[in-house]
Parts: sequence; C-alpha cells; structure tokens
Amino acid sequence: MAYVATRGGEHAIEQAERLYREELGVIDAEKNRTIETTLPWLIDRVMGEASLHARDLAALALAQSGGDLNEAVLLLRAWRTTQPRIAVAEPVAQSDLFVHRRISAAFKDIPGGQILGPTLDYSHRLLAVDALAGEGIRPEPVTPAAKPAPAQQPSLASWQKAQGLLDETRPEAVAPDDIPDLTRAPMLFPAPRAHRLQALARAETGGLLALGYSAQRGYGAAHPTVNELRLAEADIRVKHPSGVTFSAGRVRVSQAEMISKTTNKTTRQDQLELGFCATLGWNEVKVIAGSTLDLNMGKGGKPAADEEFVLYHTEPVEASGFCIHLKLPHYVTFQSSLDALRGVKRQSGARRTADEVMAEAMARSKSSGPKAVDGPASAEEQSTSTEPAE
Amino acid sequence: MTSLAQLAKPWRPVSYGFLDASAKRELRRRMLKAIAIPGHQVPYASREVPIARGWGTGGLQATLTLLKPSAKIKVIDQGSDDSVNAVNLRRFIARVGAAHETSDALEADLIQSRHRIPEERLSTGQVLILQVPDPEPLRGIEPDISKARVMHGDADYGRMWLKLYEQIVRAGRVTQGASYPALVNARHVMSPSPIPRWDVEKLHMARHLTILSAGREKRLYAVPPFTRVEPLVFDDVPYQVEDQAGLVCRHSGATGYFMNEIPRDDGGADHELSDSHFGLKQSRSRAGEPVRIGETWYRNGEFMR
Repeated sequence: MAYVATRGGEHAIEQAERLYREELGVIDAEKNRTIETTLPWLIDRVMGEASLHARDLAALALAQSGGDLNEAVLLLRAWRTTQPRIAVAEPVAQSDLFVHRRISAAFKDIPGGQILGPTLDYSHRLLAVDALAGEGIRPEPVTPAAKPAPAQQPSLASWQKAQGLLDETRPEAVAPDDIPDLTRAPMLFPAPRAHRLQALARAETGGLLALGYSAQRGYGAAHPTVNELRLAEADIRVKHPSGVTFSAGRVRVSQAEMISKTTNKTTRQDQLELGFCATLGWNEVKVIAGSTLDLNMGKGGKPAADEEFVLYHTEPVEASGFCIHLKLPHYVTFQSSLDALRGVKRQSGARRTADEVMAEAMARSKSSGPKAVDGPASAEEQSTSTEPAE
Repeated sequence: MTSLAQLAKPWRPVSYGFLDASAKRELRRRMLKAIAIPGHQVPYASREVPIARGWGTGGLQATLTLLKPSAKIKVIDQGSDDSVNAVNLRRFIARVGAAHETSDALEADLIQSRHRIPEERLSTGQVLILQVPDPEPLRGIEPDISKARVMHGDADYGRMWLKLYEQIVRAGRVTQGASYPALVNARHVMSPSPIPRWDVEKLHMARHLTILSAGREKRLYAVPPFTRVEPLVFDDVPYQVEDQAGLVCRHSGATGYFMNEIPRDDGGADHELSDSHFGLKQSRSRAGEPVRIGETWYRNGEFMR
C-alpha cells in the first residue's frame, strides 16, 4: 500500500470555522451597536474578565464569538496585550466615584444614604412572554426623586475607622509605574496585594461565584456582611506630558467591601476586617463573591481559603483553554500509557499485587486469631512477598 | 532635515511575530536564564496570544520570539505535520512572521512540537520547542506550585522517588506513561513534556537546544546542548521505553521506530510511523526516490548512544 500523505487538515479547519461563522451572519457596525446598547450587563461582565474597558470592542468580541463568553474574553485579552501603554492613571478614591448605586447591609442608614440605583433585586422574575406576541414591552418612565442624591459619597469604612471599629490601613507608597502588574509579570505566591486584587478583577464571574459561595456556605472562615457595594463611574485622570492633569473619560466600575468579625492574633481581641474586590464594568455578584474570597484567602483550610487555589482556578482564559484543549489528539500519550498498562498485565500473571498480598495476610491473621485484622500487612510481609517476578 | 518618520519604522497594527518588543525581550531574558540553569522552571509573564490557552501558547510565544523571516519552521503535533492544531499554529506563524515552512526535521531551524521529538537526530543550531501542559514534575505529589518550587530549591525529590518505588511495588514496574521525570544536569528534576518514554533519551547530551514552554502555567525551562538528561530510575530496575521495537509501519514497512496504533475492524491493530514526515521519507526511499534520511536516534529499535 502506497503512503498517501494526508494534507486535509488545513482545508478541514478552514471549513469548520466557516461553518461556525455562517450561523452568525453579517457583523457590521449596526449589529455591534445593537449588542452594545441592549446587553450592557453582558458587555460589563466581558469587559471585567478581559480587563479592558471598551464597550464597542466588547460588543464586537461577543458578535464575533456568537456569544461564547470564553471566546469573547480571549479575543479581547489577545487584542489588549498588543496595545501600547500610554499612561498610568491616578488612583481613584472611593469618595471620588460618581455613584449610581450604593448600598450597605451593615446599617439601616449610612452617611450619604442608601442609594438603590438601577437593580432587578426587587423585581418579580416573570418572563414577559407577551413581548413576543404583541407590541413588545416598553419600560415605564422613571420618576425623578424630589431631591437628587449627591453624586459623590463618603466611604462607610472611613466612618468605621474613625469609630475605631476598623484598623487604619496605610497603603504602601508606590510610584504608579512600579505597581506590580499581573499582565507583565507572573504571579508568585504569596501574591502581592496588587496581584491578588488584579487577579480577582480579571477572574471569571462563575468561578468566583462558585468558590465565594462555598465560603459563604461554611467552607470558609468568614461569614461576611456587605459593608458597602457600589456601582459607579470613575474618572480616568491622567497627566499630560505638559504637566496638566486631565480627565480622559469615565469607566464603569463596581466594588464591594465585605465585613466580618475576626480575632486579632496578638491582642486576642475581636475586631472587624474588610475584604475588597473591584472590577471594570458593573457586576455585583462577582465583586461580592470576590471580596468574600479576599476575606477568606490566607485563613487556611478549605479551597476557598487557599489563595493559590482560588486565583489559579478562576482565571477565565487559562481555565477554559485548558478544559477545551482536552479535545486535542492525545494519541501519543495514550499509546505510552497503554504500553505501561499492557506491561503490567503481562506481568500480573507471574506475580501477586500488593492488594493480593495484603488480602492473603489478612486471611492468615484472621484464621490464626483476632489480632491485626484491620492493620496493614507488616513491613516484613510486604518486603518479602512483593519482589518483582522478573 | 531628518524627520521622525524617517527614523521610525512605519506604524503597523501588530508587531512582527505578534508579540511586542517588550514581551520578546522578557522571553529572551527568561530563555537565557533557563539555559543557564538547565531544567529549572523560570516564571514568565506569558502574554495572551490569539490561540486558546492549553493549545500551544507557551511554545508559540517561544517560537514567535525566536522567529525571523529567514527561519525555516516545522510544527508538529503527535508527530504529525498535518495534525489540525499543528496546521493552525503554522498558519498563525506564517501570518504574523512570514517564515518558511518545512516538514523536514533536518532542514528546520525551529521545530515546535507537541508530544514528540522527531526520529532523525537534530543537530547543532537547531532549536526544538516543546509545548508543555504541566511543567511541574512534582504536581502529582504536591499540587501547590509555591511548595513544589521550594522542593526544587532544596532538590527535595524523595517523594518523587517514593512514588516510582510504590509503582514498582504495586504493579511490578514503573507505570508512568508519557512525561517521564528526568534529572537534568544532575540537579533539577523536570517533566520532559508529555513525550513518550521513547523520546526522553533523545534529550540526553543532544546537539540541539530544547526549550520547553508552558504558556498557561507561565513557566519555561531548557535543556541546552550537551546536557545530561537522565530519566529517574533505580540501579536495579532499568528504564523501559515503550515496547515498539518490533512493530512494522503499514505504509512504509519501516520498523524500530515509535508507531501509532490503529485499531482494525477485525479486532487487530495496524501500526504506522508516528513521525509523519519521516514515514513519508521512508516510503519514498523504498519507492526508489532520492531522499535524504538523517541519522536516527534509534537503530533496529535500539537507542544509539
């Protein structure tokens, strides 16, 4: 039989991609705008996981991937990594945020007030099937409050610090260019605070939710309360080479502080402790789960309390990529395992396995008396009877 | 007067070889460090590339960094040049790097491979880039990277030896399939990537440079030319490669090389050379065509030292 080199691979993968794209149809600016304006929460989720605030590009990634979130995030991340860094923006203080929604579960009322903002929290989750049959559903107009809420709000934590309920935190003075950057350096453990918060900000929403929920259900040391949750816009303030600081625009951000009681190791006194998580875009479940994990990490024990476990396994691009890579051919490694397996089978006729030796030893000890029934076979027995037959 | 436009390269939306200069510089530094400490895993930033993680992004970043337009490049997966993922990576490298493609292991300057080392001996000046899913040989006994890193620092490989010993005690032989752990330069235990045991000895005192790169795990390591690579074995239990020496390739009739097993309808199995281009050469040679077949690592199924 003559050897015919198969060269079908290239054709096959091209056609497979076409088959996928055929179903998605034409992608143009109008379609992109529709996605961008009608699915803002999805856009926000994708922007957070991609760590790239660009609504139109996020919409494009969703259009291009047909809504496969992992693919969309990978598209944006791979684009993001090619972009030059023009400037590092100034840090944003909580009290500078332009707040749309801000709630605390820790107090009935808080300085600055509880601001519900846009939320489905108190909606009835009834599927509006009428929309498909008739004229569609039109949102009811919002009645503005008599007195608008102030755009900027003090942070609740600063009140708690003033009361002595929370320790004052003194952030390290680091030049903006020297802030450890997860996208430019690998994460090593224990991770710097900046890396941990960046990893949480970029983490997959579902991954943080699963692990955060496990901590909240009891597989964690802390059972926290929402101290403050914010959906806001942040001014991106950058320094122009001429020395002038200016606003380059606003980005949507969400952040959560979870608060929990903890015991101070040195003073043995109970005190309060904050966990924090923030991300680009509005994604409440992510920041609540993320700050729960921030509180738990390092406390030891279950997976949700293990920093390396949490941060490695909630990375969307790595986790999803590895999971789908299992589709790739593995026939060489499989052949290698098969060989070892067959080798063992060939030998197994000629020798007894450790389990068999153990079973025999147990049978012997049973017949000779009640001693050592559930203990392992003695070292002597093992070493004399498990010598390879070859 | 000289203008800025004359001094600067014309702006392009994507850099040559996709990665920007700072990413390549980081990779070059990490590679040099890896070469200086054979078998030691060097962490690197590992940029996202337009290929899914776990699909060769580590190998790809190394290849893209070493790429130049005059380079001849071969990409294989499971030994095959035509495997779909190999084709896809080659397409991407051609798209962003415009390098020459080749299937001939003897001609290639850079060989990016997943799970195999070609059967023909590589020579000085060639670079083999192995894609690595899991760079950590200690993963099975210590899943925490931070703890495994300390174990490498202390050359604390006792539990690794114990694992192999337990396999022999329980099963009568070492049951490790691919990714057989090997001691590099008598210091660091490394995973040679999931190459079969058949291929591990090819790294020992090889003339070529091997870069092993794990993109998802963000670690790379190297086996420089003429470096000792010794599979972990006990003095009285010899290293066993896959029992392949007697198999015959159904296409070329060649024997004594690593084969793919192809199950047949009648319950039996056929075999074919896993190194697809080497197989093609064998067939052509048998048909009387003039082909250059290089010196092979194995002869009559025996590894030649």
